[in-house]
Amino acid sequence: MTVERFIPALTRGAVALIGTLAVGLVAVLAAGLDPVTTLQAIIDGALGSPYAIRQSLTEAVPVTLTALGVAVAFRAGLFNLGGDGQIYIGALGAVGVSLLFPELAPILLIPFALVVGMFGGLVWGCLAGVLRAKLRLSEIITTIMLNFIAFWIISYLVHGPLKDPGGSGYPLTREIPEAAQLPVFGDLIPSGAVLMLVAAFCVWLLLERTPTGIKIKGTGSSASASRFAGVSMSRVTILVMAIAGALAGLGGAVSLQGDQYKLGDFFSPGWGFDAVAVALIGRGTATGTLITGIAVGALRSGIQSAQGTAEVPSSIAQILLAAAVLFVIVGNAEGAGQLVRRSWARTRGLASE
Amino acid sequence: MSDLFDIVTSATLYAAAIRLALPIFLAALGETFAERAGLVNVGLEGMMLMGAFGAVLGSDVTGSALAGVAIGLLLAVLVAAVQGFVSINLGGDQIVCGIALNIGALGITAFLVRAIWEGGNAPQVAGFSAFDFPLVANAPFVGVAVFQQGIFVYVALVLALISWWALMKTGWGLRMRGCGEDPLACESLGIPVKRLRWQAMLICGACAGLGGVFLALGQLLTFSDGMSGGRGFIALAVVIIARWSPMLAIPSALLFGAVEAFALRVQSSDLDVPPELMLALPYVATIIVYAIVVGRSNPPAALGRSYVRQ
Repeated sequence: MTVERFIPALTRGAVALIGTLAVGLVAVLAAGLDPVTTLQAIIDGALGSPYAIRQSLTEAVPVTLTALGVAVAFRAGLFNLGGDGQIYIGALGAVGVSLLFPELAPILLIPFALVVGMFGGLVWGCLAGVLRAKLRLSEIITTIMLNFIAFWIISYLVHGPLKDPGGSGYPLTREIPEAAQLPVFGDLIPSGAVLMLVAAFCVWLLLERTPTGIKIKGTGSSASASRFAGVSMSRVTILVMAIAGALAGLGGAVSLQGDQYKLGDFFSPGWGFDAVAVALIGRGTATGTLITGIAVGALRSGIQSAQGTAEVPSSIAQILLAAAVLFVIVGNAEGAGQLVRRSWARTRGLASE
Repeated sequence: MSDLFDIVTSATLYAAAIRLALPIFLAALGETFAERAGLVNVGLEGMMLMGAFGAVLGSDVTGSALAGVAIGLLLAVLVAAVQGFVSINLGGDQIVCGIALNIGALGITAFLVRAIWEGGNAPQVAGFSAFDFPLVANAPFVGVAVFQQGIFVYVALVLALISWWALMKTGWGLRMRGCGEDPLACESLGIPVKRLRWQAMLICGACAGLGGVFLALGQLLTFSDGMSGGRGFIALAVVIIARWSPMLAIPSALLFGAVEAFALRVQSSDLDVPPELMLALPYVATIIVYAIVVGRSNPPAALGRSYVRQ
């Protein structure tokens, strides 16, 4: 990498980070908080103890799994804004299996519920993929509609047929049996975190080491060239949306079996949109998405525990994510690139292009 | 079954349909300008949300609904300015920018609601009430269905007419549509592509903001997190269904207003239908209508492609 290309890349990253932190500082000051104690409280809440680390990982898993799926779709040029709907349907599959077969041994029930959850998400993602491939409906619109449809289906179920009759009136399902609950390794590493790492590795393999990955990336960077090379666009579209849905569905199942144990209509606190931001900040790569996802999980968990001590509003996480995505696009933008190149050329005493 | 018949034939259903269609229509009208000029604005939802929030804030602080309109419009146009700067000046990815703005608007409004109002809930504020349109308000059926609405309905109708005329019948509109078809050719003819696209984006922000303002001040008289409820995305579908025409956006938006009104009426009737499933109906309808219409659509040629003068 030449200096001319390396410096702008480094500047872009630094500017995005500093910009995002500045936005966070403004938000913290606007909330009337002391920045130093707030940051301290968030870091403490995210990483301060083994329990905090476990919570951070737990929070990171559904977002990161969903974001990995968003990343795969993004590389094919598709926007999966339907993470939330896929998470809900995934959790529904997992809760259904767990409550229907409580007598199964954990070794069977846990993977069974996870797989059915994954399949639920896959179906929900596939719907948008098929609508896009066969009818040319924009997945940006259909995934959002499918989110609301999934949400109201779940809401109907947990207010009606699936509502726990013994619960104190809350719209929640019964708690899943212990045999369906995911173990935590050494009281520190939730098994969901292991699944997250495996999923990230699989996505990396798919994108970087398989012919399918080449097709996916080719479709994203130049649709016409791919079509000319004989790649079936509709097959790639349905495939990536199925993968995206399956990963989000797995995220829902893992959160159900490893953290929440009950399904209610506020099951996902907006992981679907967080995941879109995470995948975009991670530039659609498996590693970038994994790292960003874990960081966002830690941030969310840190803010949650800081809410008790320093009253940090949880919406700050969303504001920071939006700001980070904006800075990343600005960094990637053609016009901004021109500006940077021109000023770089000027500082080296060369004439502007 | 007679219950269902009563619902479908009641004039108040159609009055509700018009009321519920209005925010979607206004957002779609704005998006029509943006897309005709070649800009995809997925941030519609965020602009509506900011409009609704600003309306409640302005109305609460001053006690005047008109001030609410002003603040709501201002905030929505600010969001549009960010979208405009990134997509027009920097040539950044328009869709990604819109998605970021939607997430940001959700976060900022939720943040400000908790920072501003005691207890973290927006209060009930002064809004616009319905009035009887002179002479025709008491006409049978149509009077209740159409002519007992708030001022916004008539404002929207006038806006639709002006937009249709400006976009389809003036040189300015022709040049703006040119920017959406072939910006390079426009530039070579001396047409200021950047300026026209900025105008389209700011109009889009104002219209979407007005949609949000109406959602807050014409219907619910308060703000709640994410209250735009996907209407910005339904509006994106309406633009396509209306084939990028300001006038066709009226019946297209009305269709969704009617579905939502129907769902709400069934929900509050004696019919034994789960209310939650009725609330999913507008979203199902969006996909179905969109699927029926899209095959024949013909979007602006340069839609969504970044264009930065070299």
